[in-house]
Amino acid sequence: MSDDVLWYFARGSGVVSLVLLTVVVALGVGSRSGRAAFGLPRFAVSLLHRNAALLSVLFLAGHVIALLFDSYANLDLLDVVVPFVGSYSPFWQGLGTVALDLLAAIVITSLLRHRLGARTWRIVHWLAYLSWPIALMHGLGAGSDNGTWWLWAISIGCAVLVGAAVVWRTSASFGRFPDRSERRISPRLRPLTVSTKGNR
Amino acid sequence: MSTMTAGVEQRLLIGDAAHGPLPALTGAEIISMARDAGITGRGGAGFPMWRKLTAVAGTGRPAVVIANAAEGEPAAGKDKALLAAAPNLILDGLQLVARATGATSVHFYGPAAALGPIRALVRQRGEAVELHAAPDAFVSGEESAVVGAVSGRGAVPTDKRIRITESGVLVQNVETLAHLALIARYGPNWFRSAGTADEPGTFLATVSGAVNRPGTVVEAGYGVPLGDLIAAAGGVTAAGIQAVLIGGYHGGWVPADASLPVSRAALTPYRAAPGAGVIIALPATSCGLTETARIANYLAAEVAGQCGPCVNGLPRMAETLADLARRRNRQGLPAEVERLARLVSGRGACRHPDGTARLVLSAMRAFEADVTAHLAGRCLALEGSW
Repeated sequence: MSDDVLWYFARGSGVVSLVLLTVVVALGVGSRSGRAAFGLPRFAVSLLHRNAALLSVLFLAGHVIALLFDSYANLDLLDVVVPFVGSYSPFWQGLGTVALDLLAAIVITSLLRHRLGARTWRIVHWLAYLSWPIALMHGLGAGSDNGTWWLWAISIGCAVLVGAAVVWRTSASFGRFPDRSERRISPRLRPLTVSTKGNR
Repeated sequence: MSTMTAGVEQRLLIGDAAHGPLPALTGAEIISMARDAGITGRGGAGFPMWRKLTAVAGTGRPAVVIANAAEGEPAAGKDKALLAAAPNLILDGLQLVARATGATSVHFYGPAAALGPIRALVRQRGEAVELHAAPDAFVSGEESAVVGAVSGRGAVPTDKRIRITESGVLVQNVETLAHLALIARYGPNWFRSAGTADEPGTFLATVSGAVNRPGTVVEAGYGVPLGDLIAAAGGVTAAGIQAVLIGGYHGGWVPADASLPVSRAALTPYRAAPGAGVIIALPATSCGLTETARIANYLAAEVAGQCGPCVNGLPRMAETLADLARRRNRQGLPAEVERLARLVSGRGACRHPDGTARLVLSAMRAFEADVTAHLAGRCLALEGSW
């Protein structure tokens, strides 16, 4: 297989991964306490969030593995884990490594969520707000496509989507919980008036 | 009191006049006695009492204790029998758990008919206990439903994202409280002299179905042979029995084996447990699938009405089992019953869907031969081949 194929695959999978991560972040920003968002029912929001996340991890793995075998990028296993030590464009590539490390922490804690507890999981999950912008910058800086109009268009589109999700979430109308659907509680279980005090 | 009582052991049902005054114990002493005695909850779940006491005492908030005498299950009568035989032991136990947890808010929750006598007794003892009437419904005795009813929100089970004990509330079955009142007087070792090493103490069983004195409340140590409980209820009727439901409507079917010990350990292979001591003997002439379908139908009608698995799942599961029981065959009927049972389990605010599914799955296993016969358009029980 020629280096060109790996190089094209690495670039393509990197961009697809970024777009998917953007969708994941936007869905994550928009979901709160299992409420509906983006016109989707609430179970669909969390399912799409999770499935898009798993898919993006798949593309990200392809992106990293392809670069490991690419002679131009000259990436070794250390560069995958430790940032800013690479030979090719160490700063911009290092950003990718940082984003990857943060994402790995998010994925691992999500898989172990039932053992860690919701609190620990949520704290680690907030790292997504760090990982995503770093990944965005990595794409703009490290890629050999920087400066092309389409990469700028995709990156700006991603930023606008996440920005819009944040604005919507912080808006006053979001804070209100949706009305609970009408529940038909068995009338026999309704509060009784017979409650008396045994007096001293 | 019309309920007949009989005892393989005699502790609770002999009345409360024979017991001396309650010794003055500190909260820590009460908790360590409950731990050493190894007493578990007698309301069905069988959770170690000392752990609940420790959790409630350790919350750092003003604790609330509630005696639970709600007995919504039609085949259960042991709490009513205990209320008639030894109400002072229940109130003693309630004072002990209030002391152990530092609670000043003390409640009694039970059937409306029981409140009058309890009110008179509380007044006579000079205690401050708030009384609350429990609706006559299957789920009204569930722990979170009890808390809801006592707080005036209705006897509706709620989600338990925060454990009830962690919010400083102790709900304890009245039988458990009565046992504690005896442990305080006679000590943990005395308590352990009945039952097995792993499951110490006695429990109250309500034996009904194909026995000569249905509804008899029997006291026995855990591990008592099933035959002894049935004998205490007058023995089996002339028609004979083919299986026994242990643990009540949320329990499991076991073979009609007189030597089978009634303990959690011995019943685990049948995925049953003593639970709240409800024992129902199935006559040899009745179809186990039909009887289970009837119970499942009752349980589907008893849902609180708030969670999807109960509102949608239980009627569907009961109807599917009823189709099997009535031999209205269609493709994949047993598999559909099992699928629905798995589907509803673990998805409600309380364990009502799980318990109902457990009963249905247990019937599918215990009456496996009859499932096959029903699929072929026959019924073993009606043909007398048991």
